Formats: sequence, C-alpha cells, structure tokens
Amino acid sequence: MSEGSNPGLGRRAAIGAIAAAGAGFALFGPRGAKEASGGRIVLDYWEKWTGHEGRAMQRIVDEFNSSQSRIFVRYLVTSGLDQKTLIAVAGGDPPDIVGLWNYNIPLYAETEAIIPLDEFDSSYGVRIENYAPAVRQLLTHPDRTGKQRLWATVNTCGTIAMYYNRSVFRDAGLDPDRPPRTIEELDAYAKSIERVSADGGIERVGFLHAEPGWWSWIWGYHFGGTLYDPETDRARADSAENIAAFEWLQSYPRRLGADALKKFRSGFGTAYSSPQNALLTGQVAMVPQGPWLANVIQTFSPGLDYGVAPFPVAEAVYREDEPVGLIDSDILVIPRGVKHPEASMEFIAYTQRPEVVEYLSTAHFKNSPLASPSREFIERHPNRGVRVHNAIAASPRGFVCPRTRVWPQLKDEFDASMQRMWGLARPAREELAAIQQRAQQYLDEAAEQRRRRGYG
Amino acid sequence: MTDRRENISGWIWISPWLVGFLAFMLAPAALSLYYSFTEYPLLEAPVWVGMENYGRMLRDEVFLTALRKTFIYGAISIPLSTALALVIAALLSAKIRGGRFYQAAVFLPTLVPMAASAMVWLWLFNGEYGLINRGLELIGIDGPNWLTSTRWVMTAIVIVSLWGVGQAVVVYYAAMKEVPDHLYEAASMDGMGPARRFWNVTLPMLSPVVLFNVVTLIIGAMQVFVIPYIITKATPGGDPRAMYFYTMYMYDNAFVYGKMGYASAMAWVQLLVTLVLTAMTFAVSRKAVYYRGG
Repeated sequence: MSEGSNPGLGRRAAIGAIAAAGAGFALFGPRGAKEASGGRIVLDYWEKWTGHEGRAMQRIVDEFNSSQSRIFVRYLVTSGLDQKTLIAVAGGDPPDIVGLWNYNIPLYAETEAIIPLDEFDSSYGVRIENYAPAVRQLLTHPDRTGKQRLWATVNTCGTIAMYYNRSVFRDAGLDPDRPPRTIEELDAYAKSIERVSADGGIERVGFLHAEPGWWSWIWGYHFGGTLYDPETDRARADSAENIAAFEWLQSYPRRLGADALKKFRSGFGTAYSSPQNALLTGQVAMVPQGPWLANVIQTFSPGLDYGVAPFPVAEAVYREDEPVGLIDSDILVIPRGVKHPEASMEFIAYTQRPEVVEYLSTAHFKNSPLASPSREFIERHPNRGVRVHNAIAASPRGFVCPRTRVWPQLKDEFDASMQRMWGLARPAREELAAIQQRAQQYLDEAAEQRRRRGYG
Repeated sequence: MTDRRENISGWIWISPWLVGFLAFMLAPAALSLYYSFTEYPLLEAPVWVGMENYGRMLRDEVFLTALRKTFIYGAISIPLSTALALVIAALLSAKIRGGRFYQAAVFLPTLVPMAASAMVWLWLFNGEYGLINRGLELIGIDGPNWLTSTRWVMTAIVIVSLWGVGQAVVVYYAAMKEVPDHLYEAASMDGMGPARRFWNVTLPMLSPVVLFNVVTLIIGAMQVFVIPYIITKATPGGDPRAMYFYTMYMYDNAFVYGKMGYASAMAWVQLLVTLVLTAMTFAVSRKAVYYRGG
C-alpha cells in the first residue's frame, strides 16, 4: 500500500474479499455427490480392492445400483483401510459399509462399533447357516452380554492349502499325483528336492517356512495345537504342539544353514505377484498359499504344472476326510452410527445372494464361503485346487486366527519370534515361553479394559 | 487509529494462523496429554487410569527395546552424518572445476521421496542380488544379509540415513562461505596447513551451525520412521523387531493395536526425552560453541 492512502479501505477490502471467498466456498464449493443422486439414498462403501479384484466388486456394485432405484452405492477404494476405518468410526463419521478383515471383528464387536446383522429383519436372508461350517467362526463373536452374534458377512473367503510345482516333483523323481500328507513326508520330499551348489549356496528347496512368510503362527495347528483358548481367555503359545511345530521349523535352518537360507530367501524379495514368485520359478517346490495364487499363476506362468493339496499335518493328526487349514476372509460390516442402516443391509444382502457370492469368488479365484457351493461353481472355477479349498472350508478342523481383540499385537509378536527362531537366535521352547508371557499379558490387559467398562 | 482498533485489526490478520494453531496444534496436544492418562481404545470413550500408561512403559519389553534401538541409531548416525556433512561441505568449498555439479549431486538425494529411496535401498542391500554385495564380492568379501541379519540391519539403516546428508551439507557450505578470509590468511601466515585451518578456524566459526544441525538431527533420530517402516514391511525373512524404532511402536499402538492412551503417553515421553537430550547438548556445547560478537 502506498504512503498516504487510506489504510482502512485496503483492510476492509481484504477482509471483505476473504469473507466473500469463504461464503463462495461454503455455497458453491466442492461437496460429496450425496446430494446429486436424483433423490436416492447414497451409501459410501469403503473397500481395499483394486485391479481385477476391484473391478469384480465394482461390477457387483453397479449391478446393485441398476437393480433398484432407491439406493446408490459408491465404491471407494481406500488404502490403509483398517486404520482409516478406526479413525472414521471413532470420529463419528463412518462409511455406510466397510470391507474389513475378519480379525477386526472382536474389537469392533466388543466395542459395539458395528451393528450385529442378526438385528435386521430375517427377510434379508442373511443367516449363519448359509456359510460353510468353518467359515461361521469368522463371522460371529460374543456381544457384551456374552451372546454369540452375527457381525459380518463374508465378502470373499480363502483357505490355505499347499501349492506345489509338479514339474519339480518329477525332476526330483517324486510322484506329482501323490503330494505329501504328513509333516514327515513333507520333510522327506523336501530333502529329495533340495539342491545345494558346490560353494554351499542354495539353488532349490522343497519347502521354506518363510515363503511367503505371511502366516508365521499357523504351524502349531498342523501339529494339533492352538494359540488361544477362548473359553479361559488363555494363550497357548507354549503348548507341547506349538513347541513341536517350531522345533520342526528350526530343523530346516539347522540342516541348510540359517544364513544360507536367509540369503536364498532374500532373492525372492517381495515378488509374490510377479514372474519371480519362487513357486513359479521352481526355486521352492511347495508353499502354503491361498486360492488367489492361481490368478498369479494364470497371469505370469499360465503353462505351470501345479498341484494343490491340504497342507500336511503331523502323522498323529492326519485324517484324510478332515483336512486342517487356515480360513481367512474379507468381511462386510455396517458401522454403528450410519444414517441408513437398513439401506446398508439391503446392499449387503444383495452381495450374499449365492450367484453374487460365487461370481465374486470365481473372479478372485477363491473358494466359496457357502455351505453348499453349486456344481457349476466348482466345474467352471479357474483354480484347479478349488475342491481342496472348499474341503478345508467345510472341514471341522478348518481353523481361524484367535478371536481376540489383541490379535494384531499377538500376530506381530509371532512374526518377530518366527524370524528369530528361523534365524536360530533362540531355541523354540525358550522363544515360545517368552511369547506366551507377553501374549497372556496382552490378553489380561484386554480383559481389564472390558472389566473397567463393565462387560466381559 | 486507536490502539484498540489496531489491536482488533492485528488479531483479525493473524486469526487464520491462530485458528489453525488452536484447532490443529494446541487442542490435539492438550487432548493427547489428557489421553495419556487414560485407557483409550478409540472405539470406546477414554477411561482415566492415572499414571498407568507411563508405569507400563518401564515393564514393556518392546518399548524398552524400541527406545534402546532409537538411542543406538541416534548415537551412530548423528556423529557420522555430522562428520560426513562437514567433510563434504569443506570439499565443496574448495575451488574445483564443476563445483556446482557436485553441489547439486550432493543435494539431489534429499529431493527423492523417502518411500522411493527406501525401495531402491531395499534392492541395493539385497543379500542375494544387491549391488552392494556384488561390489563386495569383487574385492573378495562375502557380503552379509544386510536387512535380514540382526547384526547388520542397524548398519544398513544408518547408511541409508547418510544418503540424506545433503541438507546439512548445504547449511555447512553456506556457513563456510561466511568465515572471514582474513582468519584463513592469518592462520596460513602462522604456518597452518589445510587440516589445521579446518580444525582451528573453520570448525570454531561453524560451531553454532553445527550445534543447530545436531539438535535437528537429535529430533530427527527420535522420530525416525518412514525408511525403517517401509523396509521392515518389505523384507520377508527379516526380524521385524531388529529395526523397530520408537515412533514405529508408537504408531502401531495408536493405529494398529487401538491403544491411543498408551501411544499418547509415548508421545509425551518422546517429547520429554528430546527436550532432555537437547538441553544436554546445549549444556555440553556451552564451552565448545563460539558465537561471533556474543
């Protein structure tokens, strides 16, 4: 401003301009499309999927939107979904539907941050009996009164089986039609497949606990054990079965060398969804994986001759008709505080129609979460191992991650401990004793939290 | 214009900042102080627990390990990056051909987003195919599994931290240009060589700037997060606790484990530790720092 001019005028003009800009922004600025939907109720659906998985879900959303004229669902891909949902729900502005992971249920259910789906009218047709027996464990949890409630529906479900490279089997003189059934057989197969160079470098292994390394904690279940007893709220990390399982895990680095194995493993990097996937390249012959691996195979190595079988178990645990395997699933929930819970439920019910469930499962290469998958689903499925995955979902010995709100913390403990055990930093028995102590401490803290709030 | 009108006018002009400060800095900080005395799982209302969160830290093995690792990281990376930045700045100060190119080359890495550089380092340090081990192989050394070995992972993270030394180099370089020429001339006349001139002239004249940089490095070391977080998540086969630093554990408590009360207490302890370390640095440096005209 030049000297001698009226300072009041400039100030007034500036304040007026700021006020006008603010008013303009408030009146004409950007806003959600909720108001521009032709009178329909607009629902925000947060989901994690992108790529082909996202496109398949988007198609379901589009079909739902065209199937009626009352509700319009917006499919919003959200990264860091669990953290953002936690904050949005805590902040009182949750999305109308969220696609979380099944391990989120205990925390959200105990804190009543989601609406139990059995609260809605039964005419929606969402019933626990619709799902395969082992899958039911994923969707229920006690409410504050201790009553088991249905909190979610399955979006897609995957059971963990053993994928193996049949060409490598043949190359090692093994029968590709007779995959290992017990841990003892797995070890024998692995030894036949292993190839170590003259300088001690590992070139090929039969089995590697750290590939892909996503489920550091499951081994004890294949020895007949568990990690958590929900009845007593006690951790079972140091049970005899877990000790046996992790001593078995340590037998591999003992035989092949911890450093040599780590170096070999580091060569794969994080190349799960790429042509460098260790199963595809033949560097690892047998891996525990979910049905989604078939998509990776089809994309990057369509000619790969692969087989799928239940992951082996300890000899004493083996029963042909009751395979053991982890069941994992993505879920749909309705956060408490949404404006149109009935509309959210209407969309969720639509996604649970058998034909919609089977369409999404097929598009994701996954098994069906339903109690009775259709014959067409199995016959037309692009994953040749779908029967194996379905059998695990239907098995009474299909297991799920411990149903406690502190599971994310327990899992981190296990991830860290498994690497220490795999690196032979500490005997399995000692490491598991330490985890047991910390796991119980987390469980006790959670129990104290519930007690402070007058439930549990 | 009356004083009152001038006051009102002043408040109006600073009000955008003031509102922002109150809403986004002071209020959250005050709330976090309150939450630090509560058990607050985010999805339920906070419950007052007094000093319990602070007491629990003393018994929490993961907390103590994360704190220890953060101190070790700071104790190694701060002196190393300070020394390296000073040496590079001194070299850049020398009148050499292509000096501008070297200045740009040293500063350029600081412009690369941290997530991108983490991915690059991930492959450089790869035990099987990494360029670093390939280089070591050429001179007959069998390189370690940098990121999966508990013995080597800290060294790897410190090396990555040195990658961002360019920012300090620029500050030191600018400060070196401010050192009066006559001091160097006097030192030369006294028979000092380049090394002694650097030690007896440059360094004392730079000491306030070094102090400033060390303090910012202490704050940065206490908050180290992005690079180890990305590398940990993207390194299957490595012990995720081998490079688990303070801020990573705080983040996990807040947003993964749903323990906002505990995370808030950790944030306040972090502030306290940083303040104590800064105060100690000032106390120790009192005799070593030379302020011109002061």
